[in-house]
Amino acid sequence: MLWIAIRMLTGDAQKFYGLLFGIAFSTLLITQQLTIFVNLIERGASGVYNAPEAEIWVMDPVSRTTDVNYAMPSTALDEVRSVPGVEWAVPHLRAAASVRTGSGDLEGVAIIGVDDATLIGLPERLVEGDKKILAQPDTVIIDDGGVVNLFENGEDPIGQRLELNDQRAVIRGVADSIPSFTSQVTLYTKYSQALNFVPGTRNRLTFVLAGVSEGLTADEVAARIEEQTGLKAETREEFADAGVNFIIENTGIPTNFGITVVLGFVVGVAIVGLTFSLFIRDNIKQFGALKAIGVTNAKIVRMVGAQAALVGTVGYALGVIGTVAFIYAFSGNPFFKGFYIPWQIPLISLVSVIIILAITGFIALRSVLSTEPAAVFR
Amino acid sequence: MSTGQDSGTPMDTSAIGGCAPEAAICARGIVRDFESGQTTIRVLHGIDTDIKPGEMTYVVGESGSGKTTLISIMCGILWPTEGEVRVFGTDIYSLSDSELVNFRLNNIGFIFQQYNLIPSIDAAANAAVPLIAQGMEIEEAREKAKVLLDKLNIGDQADKLPSQLSGGQQQRVAIARALVHEPRLVVCDEPTAALDANSGRRVMDLLREVAVAKDRACIIVTHDNRIFDLADRILVLEDGEVTHDGTEMPEDH
Amino acid sequence: MSILPKNVSFSRQVLPILAVIGLVVAALYIFTDLPDRSTSEPEQQPPKATGDLANSPRVAGTGLVEPSSEIIDIGSALSGLVTDLRVRPGDRVEKGQPLFLVDDRAARARLAEANAAISEARAAIAEAQAAQRTASQQLALYDNLDDPAAVSRAEVIRAEGDATAAQTRLELARARLSAAQAQAGSARTELGRLTVRAPITGEILAVNIRLGEFVSTQGGSSDPFIQMGETTPLHVRVDVDENEAVRVKLGADAIVSPRGAADIRANAKFVRAEPLVVPKRQLTNSAAERVDVRVLQIIYALPQSDVFRVGQQVDAFIPAAEAAGEEE
Repeated sequence: MLWIAIRMLTGDAQKFYGLLFGIAFSTLLITQQLTIFVNLIERGASGVYNAPEAEIWVMDPVSRTTDVNYAMPSTALDEVRSVPGVEWAVPHLRAAASVRTGSGDLEGVAIIGVDDATLIGLPERLVEGDKKILAQPDTVIIDDGGVVNLFENGEDPIGQRLELNDQRAVIRGVADSIPSFTSQVTLYTKYSQALNFVPGTRNRLTFVLAGVSEGLTADEVAARIEEQTGLKAETREEFADAGVNFIIENTGIPTNFGITVVLGFVVGVAIVGLTFSLFIRDNIKQFGALKAIGVTNAKIVRMVGAQAALVGTVGYALGVIGTVAFIYAFSGNPFFKGFYIPWQIPLISLVSVIIILAITGFIALRSVLSTEPAAVFR
Repeated sequence: MSTGQDSGTPMDTSAIGGCAPEAAICARGIVRDFESGQTTIRVLHGIDTDIKPGEMTYVVGESGSGKTTLISIMCGILWPTEGEVRVFGTDIYSLSDSELVNFRLNNIGFIFQQYNLIPSIDAAANAAVPLIAQGMEIEEAREKAKVLLDKLNIGDQADKLPSQLSGGQQQRVAIARALVHEPRLVVCDEPTAALDANSGRRVMDLLREVAVAKDRACIIVTHDNRIFDLADRILVLEDGEVTHDGTEMPEDH
Repeated sequence: MSILPKNVSFSRQVLPILAVIGLVVAALYIFTDLPDRSTSEPEQQPPKATGDLANSPRVAGTGLVEPSSEIIDIGSALSGLVTDLRVRPGDRVEKGQPLFLVDDRAARARLAEANAAISEARAAIAEAQAAQRTASQQLALYDNLDDPAAVSRAEVIRAEGDATAAQTRLELARARLSAAQAQAGSARTELGRLTVRAPITGEILAVNIRLGEFVSTQGGSSDPFIQMGETTPLHVRVDVDENEAVRVKLGADAIVSPRGAADIRANAKFVRAEPLVVPKRQLTNSAAERVDVRVLQIIYALPQSDVFRVGQQVDAFIPAAEAAGEEE
């Protein structure tokens, strides 16, 4: 009977493709918007992900994210190193500064000072240059998104001179990093160098990055650090979440994307529901005849289920393919740099599709199931 | 096909007003009410009738006489308000829903007035629907259906969709669908309504040829007086009561 | 299934197959494109506590390598041009070994002058002695005359006066000799002071003067002329945050790594803790850094090694006192 059901469905090409479109469109809208949403708010955690070695971030208790921070005395580094279970700890400086470009423009930048000796805190890969070039005097490494922002006319950033706090800085490398939420230009340099680039305040050490000894979890060690030093210690995941939550709490992005996702769902329900109901209504006589001939309601339900499954599978696949194609096509765009599709999102849209089909299928089925077989004689 | 559940049941034939043990359908005291808003309309007023196998029985009546209701009740697709129906000895309305559906599937063949073929599957598959519903492999079912379509002279149309067939060919497909699973009761709703006199007679000849058998009952619902002469037995229904039961139409019709 | 022979349905067969293939491809893309959020090991080893310290109470600090004598900034007592430089950085010197000479021409001239005065005084002494001898012989002659009238009384008085004057002249000449000798001594001392010598046995760490340069005793010049110190053994002065200071287990060995070479870990012996807690001065990086943190300075002796140099910054890990394990 499922064989018949599938043919009944595909026999009406117009409605079949209408259904496919509805499901595919819903899937695309939900998946794509959720993907952009997740990636956008994850930008709040980019600072954390750009320092791949750090398992624990230690900061002043009032610091909230990588960008909303308050500096500590420099001995905080030693205090963190004193905590058992801390395998290593290095200083990390993040501050805002203004840079004057060669053409005289003023641009706000984020200065990130990484540990002089180990370079912990640099992004894992560089697009151009080698991490060792930081040993050269006045060297900064720019992030790849910053290249686009700072050198709009496509100049080669390597070797460009910048003026930072009346100091000369020479770009000698380009980092492969995830852009920040504001897509601010980011300059990486040595901690000691960064101190010169950032106008002086009493305390400058914004973060201490720490590693965890073998056999211990980051959570345990972070708790120990908090207990022993009175500073705030967050694991990598906690701190990434903090960055994400900061954006969720302080922007209207979740609402906007939430509305779009709900719209996608509603559009899906509307298109699919209407088309499916129309399709069922068109075939109500055939279903009635089948019921009279001797097809049980359970079989009818299974038939409609098979139809929904086919439409759902194909439509969902088209929607997901569309999203993947979208992300793939735009992966070269700096705005979409580092965008990926979290595997949970296709599952969420799958559940949405199932719910859409369940709702519309249920509505459509109701009319079939309530059809009296006797109606075929009228 | 399966007739197991009713063969050899000389059971309590007298208990319900003396059904003949060989009767195909034995209906007793059939009453059917329809709710229409606040009022209840009684469509059938206690009908008792037997349908015998091997006969072509006509149920004749004006629109609203209750003939469709009666036939629906007799073939197990409409519950009577009161009364009992035995089809080949089985009290069909004492069966559970799914048992009743399966009973219909195995024992009754339907020919609907508008054929109600499924437009997106070909003639052979349409004719094979009851077999497919019984769970037969599609290929096997189609082969069986094709044999029958050959017998109905449309074997060469087996791979065509209903929309590619003429009305008469579609009707033959519908007839094939009603007979493909070899039911013991065939119900046929207005088979000649859309046909001219000659075609109508040809269809009735065809039906007599393929549908009527020794152990098979055939009920034809019609008000087409051009074919009354082909009946073995005619039941006339007026206002929910059987007013005539005989081999010929009464004179006043 | 050849229900529709040779007639492949797009919507029933091609499309679902394409959809499923596409879905698989999409899933592969999604799973291969997931960002790598795992932590990576640092490429260069950061300083870390190892061994027993790795997972037990400890205190970390930053330290500065210094000679066990601490750094001695050699100065000059006298101003002048550098006329001779006897040492180079890295030389080992014995106590008292000359390091450099300051221009001594003036002092030598004064010495020659004093020597001349000595000779003069000696001549004067000889002359006075001769006169005194003459006078005393004459006086003795008069004394031996029995005849009081043989010589006039006036003659006698004159002879006595001569003798006294000669005596006085001799004493004066002696005094002049002493003065000249003292002057010569003073000139010699100054000559000695113009030769700057090593105060202890040790190693020359820095030489900031060159031949011909003027060294001044006046303040203002920032660089010490020569820096030296005893470098066997080297010491390391570790700053410990005053908040942490109470936890330090005094007397225990510390693990010390030089900056940028965290895989080198030296075991440093405890020497002493400075009694004075000072404002943190020796800072991690910038000279412009100002902080009001106070630190306890603890001194450790480094083992013999090539990797440590005076003035180098190190990261140190010190065991914490057991009792500090509980919160105070």
